[in-house]
Amino acid sequence: MEKVIKRYAPFFVIPTFAAFIVGFIVPFLMGLWLSLCKFTTVKDAVFVGFSNFQKAVFDPIFLHAFWYTALFALVSFLVINTLAFAIAMALTQKMRGTNIFRTVFFMPNLIGGIVLGYIWQLIFNGILARSGAALALSEKYGFWGLVIMVSWQQIGYMMIIYIAGLQAIPDELNEAAAIDGATGWKKLRNVTIPMMMPAITICTFLTVVNSFKLFDQNLSLTAGEPAQMSELLALNIYNTFYGRVGWEGVGQAKAVLFFVLVVGIGLIQLRVTRSKEVQQ
Amino acid sequence: MKKLLSLTLAVLMVFTLFAGCTKTDTPDTGDEPNENTAPPADTGDTASGKVYYLNFKPEQDGDWQELARTYTDETGVEVTVLTAASGQYETTLKSEMSKTNAPTLFQVNGPVGLASWNNYCYDLKDSKLAGELASDEFALMDGDTMAGIAYVIESYGIIYNKELLAEAGYSEDDIKSFDDLKNIAEDITARSDELGFSAFASAGMDGSSDWRFKTHLANLPIYYEYKADGIDTTAEIKGSFLDNYRAIWDLYINNSTTASGLLSTKTGDDATAEFVTGQAVFYQNGTWAFNDVSELGEDKLGMLPIYIGADGEENQGLCTGTENYWCVNKDAAPEDIQATLDFLYWCVTSETGVKAMCETMGFVIPFKANLESTNPLVNIANDYVAKGYTPVSWNFPTMPSEQWKNGVGSALTGYAADQSDDNWAKVVTAFVDGWASEYEAANS
Amino acid sequence: MSRKKKIKSGLGTGFFTFLSLVYVVPIVVVLFNSFKKKTFINIEPFKLPREETFVGLENYANSISHYDFLKAVGWTLFITVGSVAVILLCTSMFAWYITRVRSGFTKTAYLLCVFSMVVPFQMVMFTLSLVTDRLGLGTPWGLIIIYLGFGAGLAVFMFCGFVKSIPVEIEEAALIDGCSPLRMFFSVVLPIMKPTYISVGILETMWIWNDFLLPYLTLDTNKYKTISIVIQYMKGSYGRVDMGAIMAALIMAVIPVIVFYLSLQKHIIKGVAAGAVKG
Repeated sequence: MEKVIKRYAPFFVIPTFAAFIVGFIVPFLMGLWLSLCKFTTVKDAVFVGFSNFQKAVFDPIFLHAFWYTALFALVSFLVINTLAFAIAMALTQKMRGTNIFRTVFFMPNLIGGIVLGYIWQLIFNGILARSGAALALSEKYGFWGLVIMVSWQQIGYMMIIYIAGLQAIPDELNEAAAIDGATGWKKLRNVTIPMMMPAITICTFLTVVNSFKLFDQNLSLTAGEPAQMSELLALNIYNTFYGRVGWEGVGQAKAVLFFVLVVGIGLIQLRVTRSKEVQQ
Repeated sequence: MKKLLSLTLAVLMVFTLFAGCTKTDTPDTGDEPNENTAPPADTGDTASGKVYYLNFKPEQDGDWQELARTYTDETGVEVTVLTAASGQYETTLKSEMSKTNAPTLFQVNGPVGLASWNNYCYDLKDSKLAGELASDEFALMDGDTMAGIAYVIESYGIIYNKELLAEAGYSEDDIKSFDDLKNIAEDITARSDELGFSAFASAGMDGSSDWRFKTHLANLPIYYEYKADGIDTTAEIKGSFLDNYRAIWDLYINNSTTASGLLSTKTGDDATAEFVTGQAVFYQNGTWAFNDVSELGEDKLGMLPIYIGADGEENQGLCTGTENYWCVNKDAAPEDIQATLDFLYWCVTSETGVKAMCETMGFVIPFKANLESTNPLVNIANDYVAKGYTPVSWNFPTMPSEQWKNGVGSALTGYAADQSDDNWAKVVTAFVDGWASEYEAANS
Repeated sequence: MSRKKKIKSGLGTGFFTFLSLVYVVPIVVVLFNSFKKKTFINIEPFKLPREETFVGLENYANSISHYDFLKAVGWTLFITVGSVAVILLCTSMFAWYITRVRSGFTKTAYLLCVFSMVVPFQMVMFTLSLVTDRLGLGTPWGLIIIYLGFGAGLAVFMFCGFVKSIPVEIEEAALIDGCSPLRMFFSVVLPIMKPTYISVGILETMWIWNDFLLPYLTLDTNKYKTISIVIQYMKGSYGRVDMGAIMAALIMAVIPVIVFYLSLQKHIIKGVAAGAVKG
């Protein structure tokens, strides 16, 4: 069979693969190369070795952005998952209107990051103005603003995954637990959560990776104000690259470091998922 | 399968070749003065050339578009004008210059901006445009090459509403120093409920308006420091006049239409609206803003120097200078360079061009054909010079980077929300230490 | 249901009704601000428009006439529909091929696709915009190719996952009957994969419709703008920020999304759940 198929390879392979080369492979390789160059518009690229990486690592604002992002990822992970799990539990109970509630909670997830950012900017600045403050005044406002905004956006998404997980728990298991007299916390800890581990793992990594890659919302909500103190990694890279003349190579080097970091998180996810599968 | 592999390999090779090409171009673009910089004959056939202007001045975007259309109608030469969003010029320039159809005409703000782009500047020394300059001081030189040519001279100060000032019981003659300004502003604030207006329009620190303070207002302490030290640029600013900077900033934010904590969300539009609707007497801005404030009525408009309480300010005039230099992209196709030079020459010599620049845009242009201005704010600036006041030069082109301006801007915003000494110390740090580190980063 | 349970469920409904209302507050606030005069929006964002501040549809008119908002909606729609259609067609064929044919090339291609899923956009933002420009792809049509290339990873990955679960026998039977692989793909494989098409289609639609940085850097924004780009321009451009027009634009950006969502809700939620489990 393979032989027959292979004859038709061009139809199946070339469109996607050619686009993949143009849209991914070439830019990726050029990106790696440029991280080792000093340049303004590529035409003037000069190889400079690893000095860009050195500059990137010693850039205090980049380091600040790293810790800010890490903390943001942690907090938003906790908030989103706790609330999404709780809502999923509640909405799988017998209750009127669960479908409508699901619909409402999921909706913000479809709104684009730029639009979301400006919606929430109005809300936060309106609230903060009552005490004479504004988002741009403190990185703390920006931080909690981002946390609330991404929670609003992503709780619905994670809730859907948790609901799917909860519905997949066999009824017999719940009944058996009831017969054993397990209720409330006990049941949650000993039956529900272990059964939900795959969903929890997925949501954990989705929220963490989303937080690390967050860009649009950051740009529109705070744009890094004040003084780049509310910049997450992705925005810091963008601003280094496009905002500072002479720092293009450093921006590209930061992007490579960022890429390594995200791949690292991905590899951890893979291992955790694998080990879970083995246990089961 | 092999076929497929070889095909993809071939595609890959084309790409690496192309990537390689752009790289091997490097030495060429660097040292090919003979071919590219040789001035193309000034009267060549330009029908095939195109002009792409990346404009810096948002206020005049519409006017440039209009002028470009007129030129195209007259000559058939295509002129594209793109205006970068406020505060986004460097970003836009960088991404546009990387493109195949790069701008043929762009701007730098002076020596600091030129340092990043000098490899892209066509030598204008022998162009007809350079021959039209009223004085050589408006050329931006990079060694022996004339990298840029200023095309507008502007002035800024504190624009005020004469009618409201009179209503408050004062006139322009009462304001000759920072102390006068302070007394009057504070008096207006004290009586603002009764008067129905405030002293200053909101000093909006939104990105659309913060340049008025982090750049233009910051020029004054820099000017006085340079003057005191007898220099015109520096690697390390001392901040000798930062107390004055604080004093004027305090005055702006504590005597305004808006509570100082809310300034971070206020836009340039808000300030303009407050001024033209008579909610505020004073409004810091420049001659370029005339079209925005003209609805107040010409006879009501006045402009004062920005006094900050420095010694010798009794002779201080408005801040006059330029941060707008035209540069022609050396790497553009020769016919496009020619078309661009022709377009510029037309702008500053033809009746239509000069009229558009001097009257519609309200510019003072440093070219021989400059017209008597119809912009009342420009005339006020001229009056100051005629009366013997010394114009304050524009030193912000020597600010080390955009990053520096942003740092100062954020610190100013933070200070406006909570006017503590600690927060002012942050402004000082951003100003002084930021200068040194940004200067080093830019020049290392 | 016992009485106690009924009360409990009633309380739950009440609580969640309240929570749902709170959830839509941000959009409602933007909605009524979109009818306010621009200078009042920052001053009193939480007040309903009153006589002095109400401007009717003026903000909507402004954002349509000054910022060409409807054109941006049109381009966004074109790019999204075009890209999603092309992605679905091409990547499903690609995925089927690399799953069915086992060779060094197909294994490498699969790994590269998975790899591309984790690469953050910032890594390629500048170089991708260069490549796009050099190849003259900075148009809505060209962008479809870019999206096919950059978005291939997730789609190929999801399709491959599904193709593996299709028994080969059906396809073999069709081929033995003399069908060409191409015809066989469209008449046999494609119908079986319908649910995956829906999942992938929805995920890619959500991404492309809302994407900002990729089109911002690659499109010739002089001529073409997407919704996200226009809104970002409104906020950043020309020293003047028309809050009114922004509010109107935000509402006009949200409405199509809500309509899309409500009409395809069931598929969207299923697609998301399926996509997440695989991704």
